[in-house]
Amino acid sequence: MHPQATHWATHRALCWTVLAAAFGGPVSASTDGGKTSASPAGSVTLIKAAKVILRPGKIEEHTSVLVQDGKIIAIGANLTAPEGAREIEGEVVCAGFIDAWSSFGVDADALRDERVSAASLTTDAWDPYVDERFRLDVLRGGVTSMRVGLAPNAKVGGVGAVVRLHPRISDRRAIVLADACIALGVGITRSSRGLDPFDRLADVDRALGAVGDGWSYLQDKVEYKHELEAWQKTVADKEKELEDGAKKAKKDREKEKGDAEKAGKEFKEKAYKEDKRPKPPRFDDDKEVLARAANGELPVVVEVHRAVELRSFLDGAARYDRTRWILAGASESLPFAKQLADHGITVLVSPTPMGQMRTEEMRDADPSLAGRLSEAGVKVLIGSGMERPLGSRDLALVAQIAIGNGLPREKAFEALTLGAARAFDVADRIGSVEVGKDADLLVLDGEPLLAATRVRYVLSAGDLVITPEN
Amino acid sequence: MLLNPIRPAALRSTLSVLALVLAAGVAVAQDRIAIKAGRIITQAGPEILNGVIVIENGRISAIGADVKVPWDVPVLDASKMTAMPGFVEAHSFRGMDRPNENVDVAPFLSVRDSIDPIAFYFEECLRYGITTINVQQGNQCVIGGQGLIVKPFGLTVEEMLVRPDAGLKLSATPKFGFSSATQAQSLRNAFGELRRHLEQLVADAKDGNDRARREALFQGRDLEGEKGKGKAMGGTTWKVDGLELVPRGEVDGKMEPLLDLVEGRVNAYIYCGRAMDVRTALEVARDNGFLARTTLIVDGSCWKAAAQIAEAGVPVVLGAPLTVIERDPITGKETETFAPTEFQKKGVRFAFSSSNSTTESLWFQAATAVANGFTREAALDAVTKNAAEFLGLGKRLGSLEVGKDGNVALFSGDPLSITATVQYVVIEGKQVYDRSKDIRVKSLMEGKIPAGTTPMGGDADAGHVHDDGCGTIGDDEHDAKKDDKDKKDEKKPADKKDEKKEEKKDDKTGDEKKGSGN
Repeated sequence: MHPQATHWATHRALCWTVLAAAFGGPVSASTDGGKTSASPAGSVTLIKAAKVILRPGKIEEHTSVLVQDGKIIAIGANLTAPEGAREIEGEVVCAGFIDAWSSFGVDADALRDERVSAASLTTDAWDPYVDERFRLDVLRGGVTSMRVGLAPNAKVGGVGAVVRLHPRISDRRAIVLADACIALGVGITRSSRGLDPFDRLADVDRALGAVGDGWSYLQDKVEYKHELEAWQKTVADKEKELEDGAKKAKKDREKEKGDAEKAGKEFKEKAYKEDKRPKPPRFDDDKEVLARAANGELPVVVEVHRAVELRSFLDGAARYDRTRWILAGASESLPFAKQLADHGITVLVSPTPMGQMRTEEMRDADPSLAGRLSEAGVKVLIGSGMERPLGSRDLALVAQIAIGNGLPREKAFEALTLGAARAFDVADRIGSVEVGKDADLLVLDGEPLLAATRVRYVLSAGDLVITPEN
Repeated sequence: MLLNPIRPAALRSTLSVLALVLAAGVAVAQDRIAIKAGRIITQAGPEILNGVIVIENGRISAIGADVKVPWDVPVLDASKMTAMPGFVEAHSFRGMDRPNENVDVAPFLSVRDSIDPIAFYFEECLRYGITTINVQQGNQCVIGGQGLIVKPFGLTVEEMLVRPDAGLKLSATPKFGFSSATQAQSLRNAFGELRRHLEQLVADAKDGNDRARREALFQGRDLEGEKGKGKAMGGTTWKVDGLELVPRGEVDGKMEPLLDLVEGRVNAYIYCGRAMDVRTALEVARDNGFLARTTLIVDGSCWKAAAQIAEAGVPVVLGAPLTVIERDPITGKETETFAPTEFQKKGVRFAFSSSNSTTESLWFQAATAVANGFTREAALDAVTKNAAEFLGLGKRLGSLEVGKDGNVALFSGDPLSITATVQYVVIEGKQVYDRSKDIRVKSLMEGKIPAGTTPMGGDADAGHVHDDGCGTIGDDEHDAKKDDKDKKDEKKPADKKDEKKEEKKDDKTGDEKKGSGN
């Protein structure tokens, strides 16, 4: 379905091999993943830190991280730098931040395109040649990768991707995962065109209907598979029977032919009947993707804000128990907190500073939403929103708004790292500091997500892209 | 569609081309010709001074300084001129009634149906020494259709034909108002659809065969040995097994050109208007097995993707302007990049195309490259040899060597000088252009309208140039005697050249669709 799907599959396999090798063996793990790095072969960096946040809640003090060929190859207290390695020292080392909701680098036309359908790929519209200065700006904010999407105003916004920021990588290697999610929109009144309440509710049906289409497509395919198997079996049996009786059939035919001749009648062949081969469901590229979404292979990000639509949506969504829903925006979702927590539905919030609301719906957005949802046990992600492409630069600030309004800092940190990586199926590559993972790392001069903390170094795919000097 | 809104202009050019053809026809119409040239730029070794090119049956049979001209071969005496291999236009969507820019996925369309042999464009090609043109559909499609390689001479498309299967035009860049997401999607879907179609054909054929066998068994007959009439699928990336069971005639004609592409029988020309679209283009070509036969038609700004293009090993055709200007988003400062230099640095082979513009014709592009530090040879290669190679005609065109097509342009001076003009053009041994008999030039430059012909462009004041009473630039040998330096000193001829260009601009607005692609 996606030409690159197999490529990434093998790639992931490769990562796991590296991972396994690293766990099994000593420090000098194999570095087959060198292809993913822009650095010349053998580029090594050793980072010594007073504190390494391996993953949310797991901290190692006075330890070092060794990076080679774009990967983290070792973590330990007594690591020594190999010859020619670059050495960096800092207070705190953690994984690079992931902006869960961004449009950085997406072609402006694609953000407006109304022909986008479920199977449209964001990677096709993602410009890896965006001005280097913009990329460095975002990197300086500590953001090393982001989940990007198409057409935020569309009802069905296509396949979103997780991409990496690197000032020099401009090809496929910049794409961490090409099919990270599918995006739907419900009742969005952007571009000052208000939808009336009935239209908004119809949007709910449309969004759920799209997933429903995918679901029935999947069922049709499964059904076809069974039908085909049954048909093949019948035919195989029949064939065997016919072959066994072939001699007799021949004799009978000769006899009948002779009889017909004798009687002076025209000889007619016996009519042969068999069941027709079942027909496969008609191929539909959109439904192929929607089927994967319905089946839970791809998370579904639904931007929905008002309580009315939320209620209606949650009622309908309960039918699809395999689907992994992520509600984006969700301004009025607080009354449904328990329901969300019970169903394991993630909420992606964007606590935008006052006066910079993207949509009418977000005007009422409460900056304490993230904190309260989290308190109620809902999994929370944080994104900068899609309205301004450069918004990703301020991701840490957006997170700090949530922190200042009640979200525990650890939860916010998780939302920006491993939480986002898990939600979009890239936790095997990014989101934490682990041997075998891609070296997207931040070196900070204090605790992450504190206003006074500065980003001193940033590594993207193992390359030192931000230093205090630049 | 059928109504031609520019009928009068077309009619006018009909008359003028007819006149041109008549004039040329009178000059030489034999199978053999010998060209005596003062200087021959062969593009295949050192230049030859005072040499002779003998062309027999359309091919060069001898070339050199000491070639003896057989007594019975007519001689074109250009001993004061410079001979060049005719320029090769690697990509153009002019010369057609109109290129396809409307039907998004149209592999079945061919420019054969829309080439207009009497289009003003082809006449202009001769004036600029272009002897081969790869005519392709427009840039504003997904799969535009099939192209043709033609020479700018002949009254029917068949007569003009150099190579019939010039390949398919694709586009990785969306047209205005559309986005790259949906563009790439339709591009991939076109090939996905082809594949599913072939798979269906094979499945049906297999099904039919299997059923026939069972029927025969049931009836007690011997199955007559009917073999598949089709051909197994070729190609390098994906294959539909069992295609030999399907006669090729059953493949949907609308998709068949795509199958040609996948099986590696034809070339692909993929338009990339931005660096970000290069990835889509290369990926589609790679996934469908025609990367080796792909040429990218690029905008200068694609130099940013030069490394990726080099890695894929595909050549590019660069349109004007070759210099890309970028504005710094913060300071507003502008930086200029000469795109060919960047491509050369990364080892990407390139040819120039005149972007369908007369005023940026191939000689001008090559001269611009020289002005930006390229060697003369490299610059001229980009408008002759390289272009010929990308079109799969490297063995026939692009240089003056024994065995190659006898396509020669004769310049009054150095081909890269602004004051030199094309005096004669010989295509496949036929002299098809003689500036001294070019009615349009004559009327523009001298205000003389030969008896029995319509005034050029039909406008009454075509003769206003006459007033200043200067001699013509191109009045062959007289002018050719003077070297370029002399010409620069003389201001008037240069002025006149500018005026001439102005005139032409006015003239051509009718039958060319300017800017219809870019």
